[in-house]
Amino acid sequence: MKVVVCVKQVGALGDEVEFTDDERDVDPDYLDYALNEWDSFATEEALRLRDAGDEGEVVAVTVGDEDAEDAMRRALAMGADRGIRVWSDELAGADPITVARALAEVVRAESPDLVLCGVQSSDAVQAATGAALAELLDLPRVAVVTKLELGNGTATVHRELEGGLVDVVEVDTPAVLTIQTGINEPRYATLRAIKQAEQKEIEVREPGDLGTPAARVRRMFVPPKGEGAEMLDGDAAAIAGRIKEIVDERMKA
Amino acid sequence: MARDPKHDILFEPIEIGPKTMKNRFYQIPHCNGFGSEKPLSQAHFRAMKAEGGYAAVCTEYCSIHPESDDTHRVSARLWDDDDIKNLSLMCDMLHEHGALAAAELWYGGPHAPCMESRCVPRAPSQIPSDFEHLTYPKEMDKDDIREVQGFYVEAAKRAREAGFDIVYVYGSHSYLPQQFLTPYYNRRTDEYGGSFENRARFWRETIEQVRDAVGDDCAIAVRMSTDMFMGEAGTQLERDCIPFVELCDEIVDVWDINVSGISEWGEDATPSRFYESGRQLPWQGAIKAVSKKPVLGVGRFTNPDVMVEAITSGKLDIIATCRPSISDPWLPRKIDEGRLDDIRECIGCNICISRWEIGGPPLICTQNATAGEEYRRGWHPERFEPAKNADNDVLVVGAGPAGMECAMVLGKRGMRRVHLVEAGEDMGGGMRWIPQLPGLGEWARVVNYRKIQIDKLKNVEFIPNTKLDAQGVKDYGAEIVVIATGSYWATDGLNGCTHDTIPGADASVPWQLTPEQVMFEGKEVPGERVLVLDNDGYFMGVSLAEKLAREGKKVTLMTHLGHIGPYMHFTLEAPNQHRILHKLGVEIVPYHMPTKLEEGRVLAAHVYDEEGEEHEFATDAVVLVTQRRSDEALYRELKDTVGIEALEAEGITGLYRIGDCEAPRLTADAVFSGHRLAREIDSDNPEVPLPFKRERRVVEREAVLA
Repeated sequence: MKVVVCVKQVGALGDEVEFTDDERDVDPDYLDYALNEWDSFATEEALRLRDAGDEGEVVAVTVGDEDAEDAMRRALAMGADRGIRVWSDELAGADPITVARALAEVVRAESPDLVLCGVQSSDAVQAATGAALAELLDLPRVAVVTKLELGNGTATVHRELEGGLVDVVEVDTPAVLTIQTGINEPRYATLRAIKQAEQKEIEVREPGDLGTPAARVRRMFVPPKGEGAEMLDGDAAAIAGRIKEIVDERMKA
Repeated sequence: MARDPKHDILFEPIEIGPKTMKNRFYQIPHCNGFGSEKPLSQAHFRAMKAEGGYAAVCTEYCSIHPESDDTHRVSARLWDDDDIKNLSLMCDMLHEHGALAAAELWYGGPHAPCMESRCVPRAPSQIPSDFEHLTYPKEMDKDDIREVQGFYVEAAKRAREAGFDIVYVYGSHSYLPQQFLTPYYNRRTDEYGGSFENRARFWRETIEQVRDAVGDDCAIAVRMSTDMFMGEAGTQLERDCIPFVELCDEIVDVWDINVSGISEWGEDATPSRFYESGRQLPWQGAIKAVSKKPVLGVGRFTNPDVMVEAITSGKLDIIATCRPSISDPWLPRKIDEGRLDDIRECIGCNICISRWEIGGPPLICTQNATAGEEYRRGWHPERFEPAKNADNDVLVVGAGPAGMECAMVLGKRGMRRVHLVEAGEDMGGGMRWIPQLPGLGEWARVVNYRKIQIDKLKNVEFIPNTKLDAQGVKDYGAEIVVIATGSYWATDGLNGCTHDTIPGADASVPWQLTPEQVMFEGKEVPGERVLVLDNDGYFMGVSLAEKLAREGKKVTLMTHLGHIGPYMHFTLEAPNQHRILHKLGVEIVPYHMPTKLEEGRVLAAHVYDEEGEEHEFATDAVVLVTQRRSDEALYRELKDTVGIEALEAEGITGLYRIGDCEAPRLTADAVFSGHRLAREIDSDNPEVPLPFKRERRVVEREAVLA
């Protein structure tokens, strides 16, 4: 069982935010970096699939510069066998389609039994890379997976829908699945595993033809504050009463 | 980060007499165990608050004369020129940070037992103290009055010489000036007793004389209790205090307003168990309404929004803090810098006060392990030296108060990686459930503060739901291992009274329970009647008795001690706790120790009954609050079974234990233990605390012998 898991190092905002001079991104000085939360669940799911069989391999793949290796090393510390990082300067600020093109080439060469991605990344929140990757690889895709059972050449997966509904799908493998948080409990890496992961060599590859960007960021800004906020004063009962009135009014309108 | 503009008013300067405070933060007089005789500890302790942004910082109560000697407790003293020298250090260090220095001139009357000076205290009337045992004062005649007023004047001059900017004529907490004002203490029939004017005379004259002596150079502060909660006999707001402010407003530069007398001064230094922040505001507002001078006062303020509200609503001009300034000496600075989630909020446990009540040891704080350690251990609450062995990875096992504190401080000292591994799903250890005991909700701040700090530290990782065994620790990959697995309540009745188990005690049966079984593990307390056995003597037994009584159980609280929860006298929680238990109908059985537990009954004997006659107490359930035991299984296995050599072979160079895992103790001491290890993790032998500086007189032997 060979699983490729696509991971991303994401930036988390602190209390204060500044943008870069070209207003197209957040100034990196205001970001803390970590492995994308969804990707840690995807990694855990990949490790479980590998460990359930006799032999297998989990290959973590990321698109990013050298600094992005920290997230990859977290996946390696959790237990991934190998890491591949794809990078060229053209990929700076790349849109999800372009990122998927960079990933697709690596994944194809690995010819895995399964490809796992997180549903989305916590910084860009586009939920597009996994879908684009499936399209480029011409593989079936199931999104927002909350349960996964492997069959023979197939997988039975639970797909989370709105309103608490679950769609149970059988899909041919290989396939691209985007993994939802909560599907498992990601393991923690011991200090020993972290140290060992630090020593592991990460293979770096140049992407092939990335094609024309599908989108680019034109401007990033803090939206202006809306007007018409009504501050409610008084004791808890008075405030609760006023909230009820407002809700009733809006429900009628 | 910048200050939130809504807090700007807290940083506006204010004039008090000839002096200007740079902002509205004032450290109220409070004890620390240092007085005038540990001057370096005193100066460094107070200066930390000035560094943290306080605009004025006060001494503790400062005795004006050997007749006001509070030994066994520790006060500051301005008795002579050497005291001037010692306290001037504090003034100089405060001034370096732009803060004013204040001295709370104090004459205790009958409450000062004079155990060192062996003087006889003087008082308005010859009635022994309601706070201290067996201290009778001498009733003052007119000469005595003049003489004691002279003591105030001379002490005020010494205060000025030492460099103090503000001098008090301190009355609150039932000390001499307020004794004159209060019928409970003042039964005189001359012009110093009887009518309001007569009862006010001593205090007014004393203020006048002190003002004449030093008023051009120093601001004159008066601290007054505005309600003693004892009816007609006590000081009363309308009858005494408002008229007194009207009488003396011209000669006072700042009013320091609080409530309570001395015998139940927990009504002022309010435990969070009974009172929220801002309890004194109605009284402070009443004085502010009639005074043209600034009014300051305490209210265990930790929340800047509440402080702003106190000022904008016209109740206070200056925010005075006592316990919150111990818990976080940098409270003003953190508000100024908009770092509200870095504030170590006081939990109102009064463990600081307990040390004064015990009589002399340095204060401690549950939240701030560095309180009192500024000079003697050189600890700064906000600054951490990079560890010399910072290239090590540390595994801390157990995320209770000690483990959290240790991991946090190790993180701040820049250790490469710190893993805080916890068997449960969240941080807190025993503090996950102790705050659910009646009234103890604010104690959860111990967990919340550390959780937020740990979350901010990139080199500290919290790992929940992971129970490590010795093999797991050995293989974990850390160079330094700290075991902080806490303690548990004895299940077999082992106790500090008989030093033995109790026949029949066994918390594995349904009708016997330990505190954590009741609070955390969801074990049901069967039946209607429950006997809580308390051999611990602090909050656990009484809190469980209260909780179970509130749930409708018929509760018997038995202890081998003469009082329930005796340590709660030191934390000022006892009086109201007694009231609550009495109101709830809890039957209290002191001086009794069980001889046998049986289903349906407890047999117990009076501890002083030489015959040991057994009495039967019918009950459906027994809660065993006998003693705690260290949960040291992991530590022992690592040290004794795996062995230090095998650990060293895995690259583990240090194995330590902290907190209750070493020995059960106060939360403040568990936190201290974690902090201490982290501060000294790069010492030659971190297991043994480094010596601290001791302020003592060292004899110059040759000179003495000559």
